[in-house]
Amino acid sequence: MENDSVAIQNVLEKETTRRGFLKGVGVATGAAVAAVAVGKIKPAVAAKEAAPKTVKKNLFAERQNCVGCRACEYACSMYHEKTVRPAKARIHVLKYKGVVDVPVICWHCDDAPCIEACPTTPKAIQKDPKTNGIKLNKDLCLGAKCNKCIEACPAKFIRRDPDDGQVLMCDLCDGDPECVKACLAQSGNPVGPCLMTGNVGFGVNRAYRNVTPEEAGDDLLRRLFYPNETGERRK
Amino acid sequence: MAAPQGGHFGRILEIDLTQQKHKVVNIDAEICRAYMGGAGLAVHLLFDALKAKHDPLAEDSPIFIGPGPLNGTYCVSTRVSFANKSPYTGLLSHAETGGHFPNEVKWAGWDGIFIRGRSKRPVYLYIKDDDVKFMDAKAIWGKDTHETEEMILKQIKEPYARVACIGPAGENEVPYACVIVERFRAAARTSTGCLMGNKKLKGIAVRGTKAVPVVDMDKFYKAATVSKQFALDHEGWQGIKRWGTAGLLELKNYVTGSLITKNYQTTWYPDIEEIGAEQANRTFWQKHSACNHCPVHCQKLGVIRGGEFDGLIAEGPEYETGGLLGSNLGIADFDGMMAAIELCDAMGLDAISAGGSIGFAMELVQRGIITSADMDGMSLEWGDYEAVIEMIKKITYKEGKAGKLLAKGVRRMAEEIGKGSMDYAVHVKGKEMAAHDPRGDKPRAVSYTMGTCGGDHHEANSPAGQAKRCMHNSLVMCSFVGGYWSPKMFVDMLGPLCGWNMTEKEFWTTAKRIRTLERCFNVREGISRKDDVLPKRMLTEKLPEGPKKGAVVTPAEMKKIQDDYYAYFGWNENGIPTQETLKGLGLEFAIDQIKGA
Repeated sequence: MENDSVAIQNVLEKETTRRGFLKGVGVATGAAVAAVAVGKIKPAVAAKEAAPKTVKKNLFAERQNCVGCRACEYACSMYHEKTVRPAKARIHVLKYKGVVDVPVICWHCDDAPCIEACPTTPKAIQKDPKTNGIKLNKDLCLGAKCNKCIEACPAKFIRRDPDDGQVLMCDLCDGDPECVKACLAQSGNPVGPCLMTGNVGFGVNRAYRNVTPEEAGDDLLRRLFYPNETGERRK
Repeated sequence: MAAPQGGHFGRILEIDLTQQKHKVVNIDAEICRAYMGGAGLAVHLLFDALKAKHDPLAEDSPIFIGPGPLNGTYCVSTRVSFANKSPYTGLLSHAETGGHFPNEVKWAGWDGIFIRGRSKRPVYLYIKDDDVKFMDAKAIWGKDTHETEEMILKQIKEPYARVACIGPAGENEVPYACVIVERFRAAARTSTGCLMGNKKLKGIAVRGTKAVPVVDMDKFYKAATVSKQFALDHEGWQGIKRWGTAGLLELKNYVTGSLITKNYQTTWYPDIEEIGAEQANRTFWQKHSACNHCPVHCQKLGVIRGGEFDGLIAEGPEYETGGLLGSNLGIADFDGMMAAIELCDAMGLDAISAGGSIGFAMELVQRGIITSADMDGMSLEWGDYEAVIEMIKKITYKEGKAGKLLAKGVRRMAEEIGKGSMDYAVHVKGKEMAAHDPRGDKPRAVSYTMGTCGGDHHEANSPAGQAKRCMHNSLVMCSFVGGYWSPKMFVDMLGPLCGWNMTEKEFWTTAKRIRTLERCFNVREGISRKDDVLPKRMLTEKLPEGPKKGAVVTPAEMKKIQDDYYAYFGWNENGIPTQETLKGLGLEFAIDQIKGA
């Protein structure tokens, strides 16, 4: 299973670095660009020199692939709470209109509106230098009294702990997200994994995160199930 | 009275719809161990709660909705059992369905919901952990299951809750109305929908935020991981994962020779490729959908593109829905078949009984026993999907002469029509058989004839298999997942989960206890050997074509099935559990109840 995950990771990284490479050499000769585009030169090899090595970790959800099994919620609560309790998971899956499934994740935004909104000094929410993701310091957090980060989150991801009203924040499991592993193990034949980590999906992060779960569900429903021009469901 | 340590919460939610009140009933650890949960706990509770010949539609007739000990834990256990005395057959019935609703019930802290009484006005239940609300369903009454779910979720303002509800068929008390869970899943074969309609209970919305107690988490996690990985690696899953159960449509036609066609007249359907999995894959499927924590995601959702039904979102075809509303009715139009399946889901009708009844009517028209005048002027020819869709609507609202007649189901239709129509009525104990023809697929005869509910394709194909299936239904587990698990795997998980020192022997004893008590319930209603038989057509008419041409279930084969089965469970030659068996299983209380049978 580990080999698979590495293999998929490599494929994904190739994709993204290639895109970055093409952007970077946009002014190069047309012949060279065309050669890369049709695959005469292996882009990964070429990109190796151009793209700087990064340790940045992201969480990314390919919403179309989600089948709504909620294995991610299981894995998350097993890791953080040592029991199966999806209500306390740091990732949720919304069933929208009974048809599509929307994974609701923390995108660990670069500009992090939740950090900006956090009222404490020093801030309870900070960037974790290890993963470059969001990290919550429970001791500094005002807990049930404060609502600032929940309001600020553009993806409407942040939820409260049903026991003590503390906010539940994804911490990327210190750089090796359990939900991603669980998703990969469950997926396949023919649906690919929905959750991915690593240097993936960069550039689309903003567009993906700036929608609420309901808007994302609406979009999915429209994209997958309303192919006709009127966009209305037949009675 | 001891409270259970793990796996169970030891609490059942008892709902009184008449008084609009609820209370908590504690259940003993001993009972939890003896009956597990789900269908097992249901038969324990219903056997006490109901007397012989109790009217299933009386005000105090109960419905039990129960998850099992493994639900909501790391183990892949995704189902819930709906159990009641069926107003359709008059027998004990339980139907299992998957989704996320079952585990939400468990996470809300309940081992079961026991519903009695009858409300004066339409209501639905909203259960959030210990908080139980009776909500007004006046505005929702009359809506189809899809709209109902959407409206309930909007009203309770909890998008993460899961809903089980009935459609117009249940409200109109069609005897084979079902409960639809999360829009496309059905607990169909118990007539629970009819009972809920009778009780004016439109639906149940549940959201749970608790965790199931586990005695030894490390050991349990290990055992559950082993069983999950076993299932993930098993080849048997891959086909279902890729094609759903629709893939069986082609398989049963070309290889097994058991795809029912034109009301069981044959098992060869030349147009299968028009309605099978490949057609669905090419033109229809858009998305897979999974039950809670399940890696199989056998449910396939799709949308019809172009034509008469453009834009219709539906689920399927599954093997049963595609068989009963496709090949059984001679339909070769994929879109028309999907529209009929979707309509059954929306109206809350059991697609198997609905398809069986319409197929039966079509054959009677073919043979000239009834005419289109009896069917409100509809021609009802094989393959006429427009007539099928029209008829499903008529059944739902019991409209006209035809709607009223077909809403009664195959057995009562045949009794009413007479003229030798009983020869073509395919049912066991009053319930229509599913889409596997037992002439082509002989082990299936065990499931149909010996299962508790009658006409049930899902009760396993051998005595030992049925015992194991009893445990699946009590734990409550999907047989696509648990089907390949050995009893040892179950025991390894239940031990650390519940703190039991369980052996494989106890596993089998528990299974036999549950199955025998189910039998006692039905024996009390007058069931015996004479009822455990296939319909006449299966025993007399040879298959005219297909891979199993000439096959028929002989009386000797039928006798052997019965004898082996009764011997395995320790019942006498008439199918009545003996006193020794009952004593050995700790069911002494049932001895008096079945005396004289």
